[in-house]
Amino acid sequence: MTGKNISKNNKRNKVRLSTPIIYIILTLLAAVYVLPLLWIVLVSFKTNAEVFSNPFGLPEVWQLGNYIFAWNTGKLGVALKNSFVVCTVTLIVSLLFGAMAAFGIARMKWKLSGAALIYFMIGMMVPVHCILIPLFVVFSKIGLTNSLGGLMLPYITFALPITIFILVGFFRSMPREIFEAACIDGCSIYRIFFNIALPLVKTGLFVTGLMSFVATWNELLVAMVFISDPMKKTLPVTLTYFVGPYATNYVQMFAAIVIAVLPTIIVYSMFSNQIVSGLTMGAIKG
Amino acid sequence: MDKLLRDKKAIAFFVLPAGILFTLVLFLPILYALYISLCDWNALTSPVFIGFQNFVDLFTKDKIFKIALKNSIFFMVFSLITQQIAGLLLAVVLSNLKHGRNTYKNIFYLPCVLSSAALGLLFSFLLKPNMGLNQLLAVFGIEGKNWLMDVQGFIPLTMWVIGIVALWIYVGTTMMLYMAGIAGIDNTLFEAAHIDGANKRQTFFHVTLPLLKPMMKTTISLTCIGSLKFFDLVYNMTQGGPNNKTHTLATWLYFQGFSYFKYGYASAISVVLLIMSLAVTLIVNRTINTRDFAA
Amino acid sequence: MKRKLLSILIASAMVLPLLSACNVSTDDGTNKKTTKEQENVDDGGKDTDSGNAVNITWAFWDDLEASSDLMTQCYADTVDRFNETYKDKYHLNVVTTNLEEYDSKVNALVAAGQTPDILTCNPGPNADVYVESDTVQPLNQYLDADPEWKDSFAGGMFDRVTYGDDIYGIPTNFAAACCFYNTELFEKAGIDEVPATWEGFLEACEQLEKAGITPITNSASTAWCLSMIASYCMNRNGVDTDALNEGEMHWTDERCKQGAEDLKTLSQHFQPTFLGDSNDDATAHFYNEEAAMLVQGSWVIAQMNGNSDTIEDKCGVFSFPTHDGSVGDMIVKTDNLLLSATTENPEACIAFTKMMTDETAQKATAEIAGKIPVTTVDIDLEKAPKQLGYVMDLLENLEGTIGFYNESLASVEAGDVFDNNMVSIVMEDSTIDEGLQEVEDFYAENVWK
Repeated sequence: MTGKNISKNNKRNKVRLSTPIIYIILTLLAAVYVLPLLWIVLVSFKTNAEVFSNPFGLPEVWQLGNYIFAWNTGKLGVALKNSFVVCTVTLIVSLLFGAMAAFGIARMKWKLSGAALIYFMIGMMVPVHCILIPLFVVFSKIGLTNSLGGLMLPYITFALPITIFILVGFFRSMPREIFEAACIDGCSIYRIFFNIALPLVKTGLFVTGLMSFVATWNELLVAMVFISDPMKKTLPVTLTYFVGPYATNYVQMFAAIVIAVLPTIIVYSMFSNQIVSGLTMGAIKG
Repeated sequence: MDKLLRDKKAIAFFVLPAGILFTLVLFLPILYALYISLCDWNALTSPVFIGFQNFVDLFTKDKIFKIALKNSIFFMVFSLITQQIAGLLLAVVLSNLKHGRNTYKNIFYLPCVLSSAALGLLFSFLLKPNMGLNQLLAVFGIEGKNWLMDVQGFIPLTMWVIGIVALWIYVGTTMMLYMAGIAGIDNTLFEAAHIDGANKRQTFFHVTLPLLKPMMKTTISLTCIGSLKFFDLVYNMTQGGPNNKTHTLATWLYFQGFSYFKYGYASAISVVLLIMSLAVTLIVNRTINTRDFAA
Repeated sequence: MKRKLLSILIASAMVLPLLSACNVSTDDGTNKKTTKEQENVDDGGKDTDSGNAVNITWAFWDDLEASSDLMTQCYADTVDRFNETYKDKYHLNVVTTNLEEYDSKVNALVAAGQTPDILTCNPGPNADVYVESDTVQPLNQYLDADPEWKDSFAGGMFDRVTYGDDIYGIPTNFAAACCFYNTELFEKAGIDEVPATWEGFLEACEQLEKAGITPITNSASTAWCLSMIASYCMNRNGVDTDALNEGEMHWTDERCKQGAEDLKTLSQHFQPTFLGDSNDDATAHFYNEEAAMLVQGSWVIAQMNGNSDTIEDKCGVFSFPTHDGSVGDMIVKTDNLLLSATTENPEACIAFTKMMTDETAQKATAEIAGKIPVTTVDIDLEKAPKQLGYVMDLLENLEGTIGFYNESLASVEAGDVFDNNMVSIVMEDSTIDEGLQEVEDFYAENVWK
């Protein structure tokens, strides 16, 4: 179900509320969504004094220094890079492992395949908080805290259940004939998986990849507990520490918040329809 | 073909990487957490088995745990009610919109993809006594409240404020799911209702709503589990203060575990959280009986 | 069409500054430091691999690069000096967090077996934990090996970091909590003399209010700030923390109640936003000259002079008034360096602690940051911030000292319970009796067993 489908279906809907009042209300509501973000962009270019003397006007002088400070001294630049590395690796590995497991469960014939699926499903009900302390204790013993690898492991693991669950659905809905034909051609099971099955579940990979990327990109708790080296912190952690609730250099903090959300907003505004329908689809299937 | 699909080696190759990772990083740690929760363990000493003492302390002595439990349940109920109503309303309105449906939809969904840590910080500034919202109110001559420091009453103002911010962030998900649900309803049903002389309201209550039941199950369990896990927003808006009145289970767990380093005690909180999550999933699945929703 | 709205908003936000190019400032506020310093500080922050040099780590609670606090900048200079002096031999890396996260982060590192070689630590329950768990080591052998170093410290400096016969911490600076006041605002309100008694204090507040000036700036959202005033109120009514910890005195005692009562009275004169203001917000109200008085530790001198050019000349200091007008106790504390018990390079660590307490560093502590040195170094008060002179004058006539409450109560958690309940009382979430009962209950449950 893509965004296109939704709109096509609804054009045929007979029930229509198109009075101007609804548009006014919706626009006001949209303003409630956009204004806070706009406000922070605006104040992030001001000086601390201006935030109070001229809270809603345009800045007298555009203080780009706030951004330079946040980027360099606040280490937002480093954090952005760390987050990107962590998320990309998590994305690739969780998709690969998840797709493999999903294929094994959905298409391979073995007694415990159903049980395996249920086993993985446990992960969807467990909040990450529950394993925080055990993971921290064990990881610190084997030196995995304070490293990006130590972050990737739990992130990948937490992305697995939903990835497997959704992809199992995709693999199951594939017609048998494709596999039979490949089999007759003498393909090994591995080639069937990598060359035939995987390309056919592109939509599923996109949906699950998107979900785990968004979740990983925004994860705070695990990263906060595991990482103490400022050069290894991810974006949400760096932001939380840099801004903190107790700082007075407001404008630089605002710039940091803008830097933290801007990449997401740009990507989102370019691909919003695909992202929204992809995430919706993932949530429905999950 | 069949032989190929029964190849033990291949099955192991496909399932084991995920299986091993999952077992090591998620399943065994859960069991370990269950064990730790039965211990008295400060990070710098070694664990001492004390049975259920941590749980007894939690429920009989720890006033802040009770506050955290109350707050977590409040967030769950508040999110559930507001998101169901607002999400459904938005979905119905937007689904019937001729122009600009996607624009509105995308705007309302935006906060769902942004970091809740960043949004929490944004709102902590926006709701400061001398900034943002109160500056705006001052333009209209209204004296704003101290939104994040008001803790009087059973459910303090600050909790409502955080609840509303959470609604602002997460209502997009519920809305999108309902929109997808509405789009999935066969149009002939609406036409039939129209021919039978049903007005819009009747159509909504007798056609749309019953058919959205499967989607309701999805949204309800997503909202419930999501609000039980509530951490980023509270941590970045109030840090559980003032006077610990805004803690949730997750933030209290974090403070007990990583500020006071009571591993055993914090694990006991995490076990409570785990049980609640499982219970909620079970209850939602049992009480809302539906056939599987086919997308 | 669909995605335009968002894109336009963002694009406009990004393009606008370019359009008004003449009105763009790229001053990021770090120009205060010279370029050379900055480069070196960068080294301090990163895990730079400096050849064959021995690497050691130091955990500190402020960002050496980002901070505008003059004390922190002095520390940054010392780190540079250390890495320069011992080039190719030792290299110090600094692990920094912000103050609020510091304890939990260090505890996490300790629990992970990655104890930093040197940690910064307040005296009291925090240090107790590290000492009792043998996370840190006694320093007597190093001090005894260098008598000249040991004797350079002023008297009594090691008192709060000594356990039995063992000294566990090297103090780096000394601070006292005083009332800072704005002389100009006092004049404006027609107050000629600084208050010495409690009544005088309250009268001064009322007089300031009449003149339309906020009397006192404080923060309840950073609980220990309020708790500092609470500690003074308690002390001025005869509350003794040792007696409380030993169970010889109870939190429900009349003296505690009177202390809480005084706190509540005084809080009527705080700035209207004090419940939501953070520590830094509250301090900013003072150096931006919006409030007439600030009760803070003397470390705040470095912070306010680092943020304002004008406050130094207008800032006076007096000690927290007492009911009978006597001098009274002063709350004091040291920042200390503790040495990990597991460090592989104790010589390097000691070399650094020595450098932090040598003449240059201690002079800078006083003359630049305005903190009180821990050694008997001769400081040039002419060069030092004026406030420091006033604080040192106060200390000269001191009757006695007490520790900060969060460092003097039975445990870290006990300190938090006290702090939080004082906040709760002031914001009228609980009555004085209820609030103190909560602390009493905590003590009965956890301390006096």
